[in-house]
Amino acid sequence: MRSNTPHIIREFDEAFLSLGGKVSTMAGQTRINLERSIQGLLNRDIDLCRAVIADDADVDETEREIDAEGLDILMRYHPVASDLRKVISSMKVAANLERISDHAVNIAKRAKKMISRPLVSEAKLIEPVYSLADALLRDAVAAYIDSDSGLGASLKLRDKELDKADKRTTARLSELLEEGGENAELFLHLVFVVRSLERVGDLAVNIGEDAVFLDLAEDIRYRRKAAVAIVKEHPVGNADEDPVQPGQEGDEGERAGESTGSGNE
Amino acid sequence: MTREDFIAVDRFSFFYGEKQALHDIDMRIPERRVTALIGPSGCGKSTLLRNMNRMNDLIDGVRHRGDIRLNGQSLYDPKVEVISLRKRVGMVFQKYNPFAKTVYENVVFSLRVAGRNRKRELDEVVERSLRSAALWEEVKDRLHDSAFGLSGGQQQRLCIARAIANQPEILLMDEPCAALDPTATLKIESLIRELKEQFTIVIVTHNMEQATRCSDRTAFLYMGRLIEYGDTKQVFENPREDETEAYISGKFS
Repeated sequence: MRSNTPHIIREFDEAFLSLGGKVSTMAGQTRINLERSIQGLLNRDIDLCRAVIADDADVDETEREIDAEGLDILMRYHPVASDLRKVISSMKVAANLERISDHAVNIAKRAKKMISRPLVSEAKLIEPVYSLADALLRDAVAAYIDSDSGLGASLKLRDKELDKADKRTTARLSELLEEGGENAELFLHLVFVVRSLERVGDLAVNIGEDAVFLDLAEDIRYRRKAAVAIVKEHPVGNADEDPVQPGQEGDEGERAGESTGSGNE
Repeated sequence: MTREDFIAVDRFSFFYGEKQALHDIDMRIPERRVTALIGPSGCGKSTLLRNMNRMNDLIDGVRHRGDIRLNGQSLYDPKVEVISLRKRVGMVFQKYNPFAKTVYENVVFSLRVAGRNRKRELDEVVERSLRSAALWEEVKDRLHDSAFGLSGGQQQRLCIARAIANQPEILLMDEPCAALDPTATLKIESLIRELKEQFTIVIVTHNMEQATRCSDRTAFLYMGRLIEYGDTKQVFENPREDETEAYISGKFS
């Protein structure tokens, strides 16, 4: 973690403070966007959906600023050690947050279409999936801001739970789809909403990996065993339960971003 | 095979009179690698480097404790003559310091001192050394002109050619680029990376980027103590010690 000793160049500390602040801001914007997209869907609030779509531009702008400031710091100060990791991981976290916000936009766009049709009670099925995805996002951001490698690595293990909820919910919605009827289109929208939430979880896992890199200089991407080891060594204080489930060790997981369907549709 | 303890510094302490400049330095410097010594001014890095060549012997009131061994042989063994030691160790300084002689005579100086005067041998040494110092193409038509007619970067490379003419085992460099412009600096750095194929190189530098660009190992000294020593990549990306991190990232107040 970065020490609190001031840098010999005052502008260097200011640049770092600004960069960290921007990442926090962007994380807040993104999380609110995701929350409002789900609220818009469940409460059939079309204004909220429109706000999500409009506010995504702010997230995009913040990402651009983070990249510009990060490049500026690299170019001017040649940071090393934890400072170097801070710059690199801030830029990576920003890219992941931007994509999460894109998923919020996807959800908001589908919500808008759904609102024009009568309410289906099955919309409630997405709530537990959202809760899991949001918890991962919240902890990913916290792990990053606090340089908490234990919490960051735990996300890789906890994401399984979200994957299961995604499979379960998608299976249920597929059944309803197969039955056909006038609501088939709504169920299809819901399948895509659930899929977006699952992708949010994957992107939160990426941010957790960035937090580990920031804290320990260790790259745990595609290395589930490394994540398990870090969680054991740096236990998560306020975890609700043991994130390492039996039978999970050694199962190399896929990483978000390499597979299809991540951008705006 | 690379010998891991080509230069072995064993609990080495060094005193200028009452003042202790080095405290129990213990490090193993590998053969045919570049090892950088970094640290703030006065931390003892130049003192350590100069001790590897017994250059501090001439200063009054100095003493040491511990030992430094080159390829297994103690530097302070009473049987070791300083002259023969210097043949095994080449040295390059901060400010290029060619002799007021021709390019050719600068390179063969140490051979002439040793009484080796056969022209064919000297010609070979000149070409080989200047090629190794990446200077041959630039000066091959001016071998008998004064060394002072060369540019700063060329003069420093000439000093490197002179230092390696006698085929030393070790090349010690004390801020070799401090007096050079960026282009000349990069040439010397690229040369250092080539020379490590043949020599074991220890370089003192104030320039962090230089240490990251051309060294394999980095040692961080602070107030006469060795704080951290390891692979350059590890020291700069993920230092183990807080003092190292503070220094390399510029946080010493």
